[in-house]
Amino acid sequence: MKNSIRIERAIKNITQADLAELIGVSRQTINTIESNRYVPSTVLALKIARVFGKPVEEIFDLEDTD
Amino acid sequence: MKERFLFPYWFKYLGIVLFLAHLPIYIIKKMMHVQFDNNDPSLFSGQHLFYMATALTMVIGLLMIAFSKEKIEDEQISQLRLESLKWAICFNYLLLIISLTFTKGYDAIDILRVNLWLPLMVFILLFRWKMYALTRLLKNN
Repeated sequence: MKNSIRIERAIKNITQADLAELIGVSRQTINTIESNRYVPSTVLALKIARVFGKPVEEIFDLEDTD
Repeated sequence: MKERFLFPYWFKYLGIVLFLAHLPIYIIKKMMHVQFDNNDPSLFSGQHLFYMATALTMVIGLLMIAFSKEKIEDEQISQLRLESLKWAICFNYLLLIISLTFTKGYDAIDILRVNLWLPLMVFILLFRWKMYALTRLLKNN
């Protein structure tokens, strides 16, 4: 699964720490999600999508290997 | 997010204090050459009280360190906790089976004594190491 959190963050001009605080997780978790090391739960994915005001599918995308 | 059953964050420090507290008690006993009556039949004999003040205090301390929340406890940290616990238990039972195969009698009892704290210790070390790796990753990016 790939995601466009880094791009969305740049558009909204917020840091990893800001996003982490907004959704109540650690900075490490945002970092590992961005670098595709950790797949978030549905709840967390929805929370991230809500911060950017976009549907989940626009931020998270399945890959052929999934 | 739903509340997970863990001790509050500050329990970690209380745990460290309890864990270290058994050392001075042990050293004092050694220095004062205290001898306990091994034939005392009562439950709270000197020997047993000493055991409670050292071994059990240490284990309670380890439990608190192992199962207290992180500053920010989230789902990834829970996953790491679970993963570390799995490997700690696997490692411990492997070690237990091997060591019980090659020992018997009083030595076997000693091994079981070590097992009182070893799985918790292995778990704490594994978990801390994983948390350290996670933080290092953050610094590299």
